[in-house]
Formats: sequence, C-alpha cells, structure tokens
Amino acid sequence: MHACVIVKRSLIYLSFLLLSNIAQGAEHISILYAQVTKTDTNYSLSATIYYPLSPRIIEAIDHGVPITFYQEFQLLEPFNIYWQWQQNVWSRTVRYQLRYHALSKQYILLSLGTLQRRSFPSLDIALDDLGKIESLSLPPKHLINSSILTLQLRSGVDIHALPTPMRLGALISDKWQIKSPWVDATWP
Amino acid sequence: MNFIKRFSSSPLPYYALGLLLLALTYLLSAATQDSSKLSDIFYIIFGLGLTALVLLIGILIRALHGLYRDFKDKKPGSRLTIRLVSLFVLLILVSTTIVYSFSVHFLHRGIDNWFDVKIEQALDDALELSRTALGIRVRTLLKQTRMMSVVLSEVPVSEFNTNLRDLTQLSGAVELSVWTMEGQLVTSSIQNPNIIVPNRPNEAIFRQLKQQQDYIGLDPSDDERLQLRAAVQIPSQGIESEQKMLHVLFPVNERLSSLGKTVEDAYTQYRELSYLRKPLGRVFTLTLSLIVLLTVLASIWFAIWISRRIVQPLQALADGTQSVATGNYNTQLTTTGHDEIGFLVRSFNQMTFRLTDARDATELSHLKLEEQTNYLAAVLGSLSSGVITIDKKNSLKTANIASSEILNIDLSPHLERPFDMLETQHQHLQSFVQILSKALANKTSWQHQIELHAELQHQTLMCRGTPLPNNTGWVIVFDDVTSLIQAQRDIAWGEVARRLAHEIKNPLTPIQLSAERLQSKYMPLLPPDQTDLLRKLTKTIIQQVDAMKDMVNDFSDYAKSPSLQLDSLPLDTLIHEVITLYQSNSKHTITLKEDMALVLKLDSNRFRQVLHNLIKNAIDASEEANMPVTIDIGYSIIKKTTLDWVELKVRDYGPGIPDDMMNVLFEPYATSKVSGTGLGLAIVKKIVDEHQGTVRAKNHDPHGTCIIIHIPLKRVAP
Repeated sequence: MHACVIVKRSLIYLSFLLLSNIAQGAEHISILYAQVTKTDTNYSLSATIYYPLSPRIIEAIDHGVPITFYQEFQLLEPFNIYWQWQQNVWSRTVRYQLRYHALSKQYILLSLGTLQRRSFPSLDIALDDLGKIESLSLPPKHLINSSILTLQLRSGVDIHALPTPMRLGALISDKWQIKSPWVDATWP
Repeated sequence: MNFIKRFSSSPLPYYALGLLLLALTYLLSAATQDSSKLSDIFYIIFGLGLTALVLLIGILIRALHGLYRDFKDKKPGSRLTIRLVSLFVLLILVSTTIVYSFSVHFLHRGIDNWFDVKIEQALDDALELSRTALGIRVRTLLKQTRMMSVVLSEVPVSEFNTNLRDLTQLSGAVELSVWTMEGQLVTSSIQNPNIIVPNRPNEAIFRQLKQQQDYIGLDPSDDERLQLRAAVQIPSQGIESEQKMLHVLFPVNERLSSLGKTVEDAYTQYRELSYLRKPLGRVFTLTLSLIVLLTVLASIWFAIWISRRIVQPLQALADGTQSVATGNYNTQLTTTGHDEIGFLVRSFNQMTFRLTDARDATELSHLKLEEQTNYLAAVLGSLSSGVITIDKKNSLKTANIASSEILNIDLSPHLERPFDMLETQHQHLQSFVQILSKALANKTSWQHQIELHAELQHQTLMCRGTPLPNNTGWVIVFDDVTSLIQAQRDIAWGEVARRLAHEIKNPLTPIQLSAERLQSKYMPLLPPDQTDLLRKLTKTIIQQVDAMKDMVNDFSDYAKSPSLQLDSLPLDTLIHEVITLYQSNSKHTITLKEDMALVLKLDSNRFRQVLHNLIKNAIDASEEANMPVTIDIGYSIIKKTTLDWVELKVRDYGPGIPDDMMNVLFEPYATSKVSGTGLGLAIVKKIVDEHQGTVRAKNHDPHGTCIIIHIPLKRVAP
C-alpha cells in the first residue's frame, strides 16, 4: 500500500515537472516568413527565421562554445489523391556554426557546407543574418507539378554538435532544446 | 508474462548482461580512442548502459527475492546466508562510499586545478596585447582608408575602377570595393584574380557608416588568417550625388596573424574549458556514480552468489545430518573442495559409510539372532516336554506349546505376567505353582515330581529347574509322566497276573480232580449220615476251585495282550449287538441314545468285551444297591488337541463310585463289589489304551456314574 502511494506521488511530481518544463521552453525558434518565388526558370525560397536564444546559449557563445544551428527543408507530395499520406521527394539540411572571436570581438557565422564565414560585430546582427534566407534554389526536377507540392522548413539548435560534457545536460534540459516546428512555405 | 518468467528463471539474464558489458567495453574503448565517435554512439552507449543497469537490478532483485523466500520457508542455511550477505553488503557499502567520496572530491579538485587565475589573467593580457599590437596598424590603416576615400571623392565614378586598381596596388590591400549606402556594389578591385565577387560588408557596417562613423575591425578570413576590414564614407561630390562607401580589406602581417591566431585559440579554448568546468564535473561525477552503482550492484549480487556458494556445502551437511537423524545412513554428499568444508564433507561421508556398515552388521546379527530364536522356538515347539522360562522378577517369559498342553491351559495370555497369578486363575495348578515358587528360591538346579489334581484327571509331572546364566531367571522343563507311571504299573500288574495265573492254575486241576476222587472213592465207604457232609465239602472244594479257575482265567486275560485285529465297524451296530444280549431280563433298561452312523477302526471282540464289562459293572452296582438298572449309552464326535475323537459315554443310575476309589478305579483289584476279581475296569482301560484312547469315570449328582471313553476317530469312507 505504501509503495503504491510513493509511485503515485512520484508520477504526479514527474508530470508536473514535465508540464512546467514545457511551459518554460515556450520561447521557440519561429519561422516568421517563408515564401516561394518563381524566377524565370526556377523556384526559390525566401524566408525569415527568428532565433530568440536563451541566456544559457548566449552565455555559452560568449564563453567561446561554438553553437551549431540547422535549417531543414523538405519537399512533400501526396502519396495519392485518396490518401493523405505525403512522401518526401527532396530534403536538404544546412548547418551553421556560430562562435565568438575574442580577438576581433566579432561573432563568426560559418557555413558548415560551404565553409564560408561571415563576421558580425554583435550577436543580434549575426542571428538576423542567420535567419535571413534569400533565394534558396529549389531543385527544378521535382518542381514540374508544383501545385500539389508542399515545401516545409524548420530550424533549431543542434545539441549533438555541442561539446561532449554539455551534451548530456542539453539532452535533459529544455533550455537547449529550442527548435521550430515544421512550417509550410507559401507558394506563388 | 510467461516469457518474462521463463527468462528470469533461466541463466539467460547473466549471458545477456555479460554480452552487454562486453559491448559497452568495446564501444567505450572505441569512443575513447576517437572522441568524435562518442557523439555518434553516445545514445547506444547510454542505452546499453541503462539496459545493463536494469538487467543487473533485475538479477539482484531476483537473487534478493530468492534469499527472502528461503528465509521465509526456513530453509536450512538461509539465516547464515543472509548474515553473510548483510556483512558483505555492509563492507561493500562502507568501502565504496569512502572511495566514492574521495574520488568525487579529487575529481573536482583535479578539474579545478586545470584552471588558474594567473593563467586566465595571462591569457586576457595576451589577448589585449594582441589587440594593442594590431591597434597601431588599425589606426594607420583607417587613416589610409580615409585618404583613399578622399582620393576617390575627387574622381568621377566612371574612373573609380582605374583608381581602385591603383589604390590597391599602392596600399597593399587585399580588396577594395565601393558600395552604395543601400548595399549595392559600385565597383571593386581584388588582388586575388581567382576571387570575382568582393566580400560584402554586413548590415552593421552600413548602419554604422550611416551614422557618420567609420568602421575598422579585425576579421578572420576564410582561411582563418586575420585581416582588417575598414569602411569609410566617400565624401560627397555634390548635393545630389549618391552616398557611397569605400570598403577595404587589408592583410595582417603573417607573423602577427599567426601569433594572434594562437593567442585567440588558446584564449577561446581556455574560456570554453572554464565554461565547461561544471558540466564536465557533472559528467565525470555522473559517470563515476554510474560505475560505482554498477560496481556496488554487481558486488552485492556477487556477495549473494558467494554467500550461497559458501553456505551450500553447509546446507548440504545440515540436510545430510537431518537425513542421518531420520535413519537414512546411505546419505553421501558431493565433495566440494580441499578446504576445511571439503574436509568436513569427506568426514561426514566417512561417518555415514561406517554407520551404514555398522547398521548392516547389526541387521545381520539381528537376523542371525532371529534365526536362532526361530530355530530354538521350533525346537522347543516340537518338544513333548513343557519348557517355560521365568525371569528373576518371577514373570513368565516364554512357554512352548507342549507346556500349555501338559498344563491344560493356554499360557500365552500369562506371558510377561507374574507366575503366581496362575495359581489364582487355575485351581488345579496350585501345587505346581507352590512347589515351583519354593524351588525358585534356591540358587541351584532342582528336580521335583508334582501331582496335579484336576477335576477330571490326575497328572504327575516331573519338573526340572535350571538357573539361567547371570542369574537372569530360570528355565523349567516338565514332563507329564502320568502315562509312564501308569504303564509301569500296568506292566507290573501284568507280570503279577501272569505269574499268579501260572502258579495258581497248575495246582487247581489236581485239587479239583482230588476232590472229585475223594467224593467218588470215599462216598460208598462212609455211613449214610456222613455222605452228605462229604458231598458238601467236596462240592465246596470243586466250586471254589472253579471260582479260582475263573479268577485265574481273568488274570490270564489281563496279562496277555494279543495284537489288535482292527476292522472298520459301525459303532451303533456293535453297541446294539451287545445290548441285545442283556435285553432278556425285563428289569434291565439299556438304551442307545445316539443313532448316528459312525464307522470306527476297532478290534470288535475286544471292544465288545469293553462294553460287556462296563454294562456288567453297571448292572452289578445297581443290583447290589437294589436300585433300578437303567443304562444310557451315547456317543458323539468331539475335537481335542487338533484331533477328532469319539466320545462314548456309558451312564448308569446306580450308587456311584466312592471318592476314595476314584484314583485307583482302573487298576486291578479295585472293586467295591461283593463278588468279582476287580479286573473288569482294568481290562477296559487296557483295551482302550490299546486303541490309543483314554477312559475316565465321573460321578453324577445325585447318583449314578458315567464312564467316558475317548477313541481317536479314524473315519473310513462309507
């Protein structure tokens, strides 16, 4: 009987803890704008992503810890007319590493794909730049029947790229798990 | 559920745990060798570790439950196991807690030791120094850039390209570009011919320039070398002309850049490490705690296992001892090792082996004893002599069959009871018990002849008593010598009769002849008055001689014992034949009561004589007493000493037999009659004896006698 009471109370505490964590982690990365535009020959995506970093992440960046962000894109098309299931026809992930360069007092944004880097004197500007997606070319071969396609994008902090000692903490802490939900881009 | 039960009760969890630990060791060693792998296999390691932990906890719970169950069932050895396990667990917890506390302490101290205020300050200073070193150049380059902007401000836009190229050459800049304040490229000059598109200044620079502030700053290039970025507004050429900016990228001295990079890397690394100090400590503590937890759990499980292992032989010994206590001496335990417990187990096995041997020997001797007892009992049972044993407390211990037959009682209910009680329950044994009680007071062997006076018969016993070894009691052997004494008497009487007949019979004929000659010779010579006297005298002599002849013949009959001529005869016919001879006298009433067809093996002549003698005796006795002659004859079949007998009764209603004659009734010359030789009943007894029977007499109330004859029944099929 006593054991049952303990288990019951533990479950209540656990659910309370989880709920409170969800409430605390309400500050998510949000995709403010996502629009597919048609150029002469191709479609391209323009989007604006807002990165409201938590003080914990800002502190880590200021202490020289590189933070990796990812931006995922995927093109979906319906499996068939009658079935609402969608299949992924194309997907791409772009990763950026943001770190503070102490000597130059600059925030360096490194594209892990192209290895291009850009410097910014403040974190906000760096994040603004990170969140600005301009004319991302979409693959033409998948866009023949663009009317039935859905383009989705999302972004977040890649906690698996964190230094090992921080990873375990980041895995169990909601302060590090910031990411946006999938958002559909608007088609022209 | 079934699967879980089967899985938990089998050795599979141990194999699974072993495999998991092996896999964990391999993955951890792989992750240690290449730290980049850790991030990939982190979840696998974590998952495997967690599974191993859960499995270990499960195994431990199972082992603890087993211990609890054994304790609850009060299995032998469970208390000792629990005590050992408790001790081990206490030892493990105390030692592990101490080691764990010190480890955590040293771990945190070790991590803290990595960081030093002086080093931090030195790195800060080095960074500042680098900035300062670069600052001089920064200022120079800013001036230079401003001068270039002034130069550009004086030429038209169309000539910017040429001028830029010249300025690039002159200033040694990597890249010069002119931008509108809206961020559109006007023109550019790049030293590296491979680069076509100039580096775009970021929005912050545009914003700063819009606020009339020039920009100069360090900027790490793509190849991680330092470069200086300067941006200034090109002074306006006219009011309506568009505002432009000059953006210049200067290279930094290679040596300075390299030193700056080193300082920057060291500073960043130190800052990162310093920042990671707490998470690192947490991760190390967590890892250590997990390892300690795993070790403690594994140690507790091992403690349970080793305790069971230690207690197992003791438990087996306890079981074995219990088994021996219940009488199973064949218990043999498996030898465990060469330690003290193994020695104990071997000693136990030796003990049970010897006990088994001893038991077998005892059983064998018991068997032999039983055989001997049975043999003795068979011998005693087959003896015609009665054998009884009496212990020193005068209790009857043993009695053979013959003893019961001789004493005419069943002695088995009297076994283990005081011997004196026989006297109270059986009156005819009074003299037997009294004489024996007196004799038992002696310590030496003795012999006595004891007379038993039963209601129907008298017995003479010859008793011999011998003390048993170690004064444990007496063995008494007795024989019924009644028949023997009787036989001796019979022989003596036979001899007397034979001699008497021989000695008397011979002179009788000359006496009779002489008396007849005296009568015939002297009768004519005597005067007539004396002839009657002579006739009387000679007649008396002749009559008496005849009477003596009859008597001698009787003696002769008694003395001679011809062999029996046995024939199968119907008893009723025989009796009827004899009765018919006496029915001529109307005063005699002789009746055969039974009419059962019974065929016996008898000597008809001699048995007729038995019946004649008995009937004649009855008639004589009744007539002498002036009583009516009424004789009832009857016979029946009785069972006596496992044999069937014919009981023949001849009953009269005469005066009966005087008590003083009862003992000698069947002996010669025992008669109460006025006339007769006294041999009638003696002959009856002799003939009955020859037929292996018995005869006895019994008086009836108020008067009358019954002669009872027992003849063994040898039935012949009709």
